[in-house]
Amino acid sequence: MPRYAMVIDQERCVGCQSCTVACKSEWEVPNGSARTKVRQTGTVGQFPKLSTAFYVSQCNHCDRPTCVPACPTGATYQDQNGVVRVNRDLCIGCGSCVAACPYGARYINAEIGKVDKCDFCASRLSRGLQPACVATCPAHAKIFGDLEDSSSDVFQFVYRGAAKRMETANIAIGPNVYYAGKPEHAELALASFAPLPPRTLAPGKVWSSLLNKFVFLAVGATFLGQAVAFFHQLSTGEKQFEE
Amino acid sequence: MSASAIPTVPTPLTGEQAEAMAQRHIKKHHVAIVLLHWFNAISWLLELSTGAGLIVSPYYRFAPMWYLQMMEGVFGSRANMLRFHIAVGLTWTAVFLVYAIFGFRNYLRIEVLQNEIGLDRDDMRWLRVRTLLLLGRTKDPLPPQGVYNAGQKLFALLVYTMVPLIMLTGLTMTFHWFGTAFVAWAMVLHFFAVGMVVSGLMIHVYMGAVFPEEKPAFYSMITGVVDELYAYRHHFKWWRSVKIQQQAWRAELTSKEEAIGTDEKPHQDPRTDTTPLISRPQSGDRR
Repeated sequence: MPRYAMVIDQERCVGCQSCTVACKSEWEVPNGSARTKVRQTGTVGQFPKLSTAFYVSQCNHCDRPTCVPACPTGATYQDQNGVVRVNRDLCIGCGSCVAACPYGARYINAEIGKVDKCDFCASRLSRGLQPACVATCPAHAKIFGDLEDSSSDVFQFVYRGAAKRMETANIAIGPNVYYAGKPEHAELALASFAPLPPRTLAPGKVWSSLLNKFVFLAVGATFLGQAVAFFHQLSTGEKQFEE
Repeated sequence: MSASAIPTVPTPLTGEQAEAMAQRHIKKHHVAIVLLHWFNAISWLLELSTGAGLIVSPYYRFAPMWYLQMMEGVFGSRANMLRFHIAVGLTWTAVFLVYAIFGFRNYLRIEVLQNEIGLDRDDMRWLRVRTLLLLGRTKDPLPPQGVYNAGQKLFALLVYTMVPLIMLTGLTMTFHWFGTAFVAWAMVLHFFAVGMVVSGLMIHVYMGAVFPEEKPAFYSMITGVVDELYAYRHHFKWWRSVKIQQQAWRAELTSKEEAIGTDEKPHQDPRTDTTPLISRPQSGDRR
């Protein structure tokens, strides 16, 4: 079973947004949303020592995804090959996973009322093709492959090179999109676009702190009351109504 | 004959009176209500079993894993189960919508609602005595009740507030109404409302199917009628109002008969009256 991963070489990325456009046209992403896009950190430092970096954001297909347990219906799941996917037939568009993702990789597609995100172009992979963004990137800054295959480019980058995961001390859930290039590029990107702690939506908080207690109390109380009544009935024996 | 022959409080019956009353029937439920009740029961059974199988997130899940796997196996996939859950839910909502549109003149009147959810002083006492009786802590008789007892009224109150919430939140999730924030709230309110109804439903099912003293109420949801003895003992105020109504009808009939010169029959205490106003259903009767 392959274990898919992606490496983004920040030294090669020029921020042309070709990957963004390829992805949007491949997946009919509505205006204002994106499965992947290139973000710029802006210019930092003092002249003449200026620096900047491009950060390609997308779903990281994490080893321990926070979006999967957050999904109430199980529409979000992880394939054996590590790709985190969405089953649209089960998605109700509640947005729980959007809040749970530290990388902001998910959005609600308002046209269909369901969540959408990068799935490494799963349908293209099954046809033996590369993801649309990888096939399009003019600088070959996006490298896609199988971490189980020691001859693959991603294997070389991840295990032989210095490709880094976009993780902090607090949020380390094993993202499978790695960043290669100059170390200061990755540091700059991490400083500007650090992963955020997974959030629970207000309804979810109200449920776990209040509503579920109501329900379990009410159901438990009636169940206990009934058990008492039933054993009372058994102990006194059935009295025929007609007497 | 005046209403004075009808007792105002439930007095003990002689064996003969009880015998006669056990033979006579009073109509309690319209056939439409009987059919709606069982349609509702089947819908709830299907919706609860599939609903429990659809909640897989560890934050909300309460059914055991083997149950989720079994239900997924029954339907082939969870997506099919969700489609089924939605189809049954929409049908259920549509049927009750039709019922509300065509039945509101008959059912959504203040007297009817008073019968179904209005708790009076007797009802409050009934709730106390009923609880103590179940715990074996009192020997007091239960206070007289209307067509529905106080427990049924409490359950109706719960159902009348929670069922519209279940329907609206279900529709919101199905059609993604008002966007993501509403859907997220609709989901937890759906769980909450169903949980509240289930807490009452357990008593409803226990009282109907297991509790021996309420068995005639269970059969009335099949035949539509209860015997007078049960009505007298469990729903005295309702029994009394039915008797007063029947006397009024009879008086009207008698006055018509007098006008055409028929002999007047002597009136009796309604408890020993054997005139079959609604006859006992015979086998072979077309109903």
